[in-house]
Amino acid sequence: MENSRVHAEPFHIAVSGAQQSSSQDSRSAQDPSTKAKPARALAHGSLRTTFMDLVGRPPYESEYERWLGLGRDKLLDALLGSEEFWGHWWSEQLYYFLLVDNFQPIARATKEIPDKLAGGRMDYRTALHRIALTSSFDQRNPGSDTFVTVVMEQFCGLVVQKNRRDLESGKRAYDGGKGNFLGTIVNNQAEVIEVCVNHSKASKHFLVREYQRLMHAPGDKKALANQARRLHRDPWKYLATARDWLLSEEYSQRLERLEPKSNSLFLNGLFVDLLDRLPKEEELDPMRTALDALADPRPLRSVVVRLLLDSGRVRIPEKDTITDPTRWIGEKFQRLLGREATGEELRVFVGIFHQPDCRTATILYALLSHPEYQNY
Amino acid sequence: MEQFNFDRRSLIRGAALGAAGALSPGLASSFSLPLQKGRKTKRVVLVAFAGGVRTRETFGTPDNIPNMRQLADEGVLYTNVATANLGHFGATMSIFTGVSEPRGIRENARGQEPTLFEYLRKGLAMPKEDIWVTTTGGAQQVNYSYSLHPEYGAKYGANILDGEGIFNTEFKQLLDTWGMPESMGDKEKALLDQLRKGVGGGSDAVREAERLARVEEYILKELTQGTSDITGTAAGDRKALRLARNLLSLFRPKVVGVVLQNADVAHGSYNAYSEVVRQNDAAIGELVMAIREDEDLAESTAVIVMPEFGRDRDLNSRRGLDHGDGSPDLRRVTCLAWGPDFKRGVEIDSEQRTTDVVGTVCELFGTTAPLARGGRLTGLYS
Repeated sequence: MENSRVHAEPFHIAVSGAQQSSSQDSRSAQDPSTKAKPARALAHGSLRTTFMDLVGRPPYESEYERWLGLGRDKLLDALLGSEEFWGHWWSEQLYYFLLVDNFQPIARATKEIPDKLAGGRMDYRTALHRIALTSSFDQRNPGSDTFVTVVMEQFCGLVVQKNRRDLESGKRAYDGGKGNFLGTIVNNQAEVIEVCVNHSKASKHFLVREYQRLMHAPGDKKALANQARRLHRDPWKYLATARDWLLSEEYSQRLERLEPKSNSLFLNGLFVDLLDRLPKEEELDPMRTALDALADPRPLRSVVVRLLLDSGRVRIPEKDTITDPTRWIGEKFQRLLGREATGEELRVFVGIFHQPDCRTATILYALLSHPEYQNY
Repeated sequence: MEQFNFDRRSLIRGAALGAAGALSPGLASSFSLPLQKGRKTKRVVLVAFAGGVRTRETFGTPDNIPNMRQLADEGVLYTNVATANLGHFGATMSIFTGVSEPRGIRENARGQEPTLFEYLRKGLAMPKEDIWVTTTGGAQQVNYSYSLHPEYGAKYGANILDGEGIFNTEFKQLLDTWGMPESMGDKEKALLDQLRKGVGGGSDAVREAERLARVEEYILKELTQGTSDITGTAAGDRKALRLARNLLSLFRPKVVGVVLQNADVAHGSYNAYSEVVRQNDAAIGELVMAIREDEDLAESTAVIVMPEFGRDRDLNSRRGLDHGDGSPDLRRVTCLAWGPDFKRGVEIDSEQRTTDVVGTVCELFGTTAPLARGGRLTGLYS
């Protein structure tokens, strides 16, 4: 049921054009003739956080140079709806459905979905539908009771214990019988999925969890219900809705507070911060699985930090090549913690830097294993 | 590259230091007198035999479970325990919370009701080192650690290790490829502490780092001791039980929870499911053997084995067993309780509930679970 609607230009570009008028503040950032500071100008912290929220990693070195000081709206133009945005979105959805490790879909057609989303050749709802149709989803949720329960819960946010009749109808259809499932007559497993994916409750449930994912807050119920109605009518409105959220005052407030990093985000961030590259799939998957195995992953996160620092693969300068330790340490605070170091912090760090037993790796380890680095 | 120097002796030494109050005031309590006056029980191993296990393949087929059968002969067997079909996650959660609330099967979030671990830690001021849970179900099961209840929550949570996750072979290979982290000299460690203190002025970060470092060392040690190499039928469950055995022997915590899950292969194969039951019985046997062989543990440890629910009465079209028919096979399970304070060789067929475990364990330790809705297992004490 792939949507055949094709956009003449990449979707994120189309959306950004349509949205320009929604933000008067963005004009100064877009007009090269003005020297005024752009509204919502990106500093180290807000730049890192926005990157991590949208594409699941902090900026690469070159991206700091490119984006620092520019307006948030410009960054959204570039990131929202990009291939990387949808790649991150896709992996977050698979994680939501717990399709990880052995249950990760590996078919080529499935792996191409983020590209199709980025190219405007598929909408989010069709992509979610594809997930439910994969053999991985079927294997992950074996048997009629588990399968129908999961589809009802995860797509529509329904509590099956309060919807027994629909559960039983869905189970009958799963086994090849006929049933009235959520108001529609269904005859097989595929129709059970289709009814759930296209149900109005699914649009609402999706939007609520997306708001939580991007904004790290529950959101206003009434506003979300209105947005969900629009989204249900037109699934292509997803990016425009997300853009509104990310330019809102609520997101500005979110940028002011720290939120815990997921294990994926921690690992992606660590690799980018130390190696200026993302971990490869064969590096990320086993590490994330291991971190997910602990209610409190901090001890193992520390192991991974030390693993990288001691591996010889990270370019760590020798102490005697650092001519200005204050500046070097200050830059590390900005880069790793997204903020300026205080005068007292600089005093302590520079003092210890000059001790013979302190290596540059010791400084990095202290910052990377600190509770502040566990958040963003 | 220097390898981590970490052996059983150093762990025991660490624990002994703890007993003296040098590492953590809480550790000392691990070696204190029995928790309830007049009782011998100092610690509890609670095995949630989850994944959906019918009585037919356990106590209905004693040849499958010689070890649990022997424990039953020396303890109390509850043959009529009512369960709620809330999906594996919700039903297992209810064993730990004493509350049967619907939870999404794939819901990867913490519950609102406090867990047994939170009741014990808050009620008895137990340190985190005293409560460990090993699991096999992946990311979702770490949510058993603690609830979102405002009066309980993370600060009263348990340590949780998912054996299948952390000791996955690929992670071990990655460690082998990248090389184990170098050990740090004492002087550098001291500087590291000062640096940590220097960020945001937080000495809490240093204290927390000391606790985490011990766990870090334990994990590194386990990684090199073959837990990653366990493969085949019920590998995840066997890893969880092996970790429980090692944790019990080394850290001697007051509570070790074990959450099994591999029996759920039953959806696709009855034979594979039966094999999981047999393998898990063997691994439980090894765990109990470790308890019996240690004089202190043998005299002070109770073991409770409780399935979260059973499975359907009839085979499905794949010659497997689902869970959703509402039959007595699904809704009634058998629970085993063995320990120094419990009756021996008694079978009780009056109705109990899986949610009774929380109240039972709390009572055993001399505290209560005020928000749990289950009762207590009846007729338990000798």
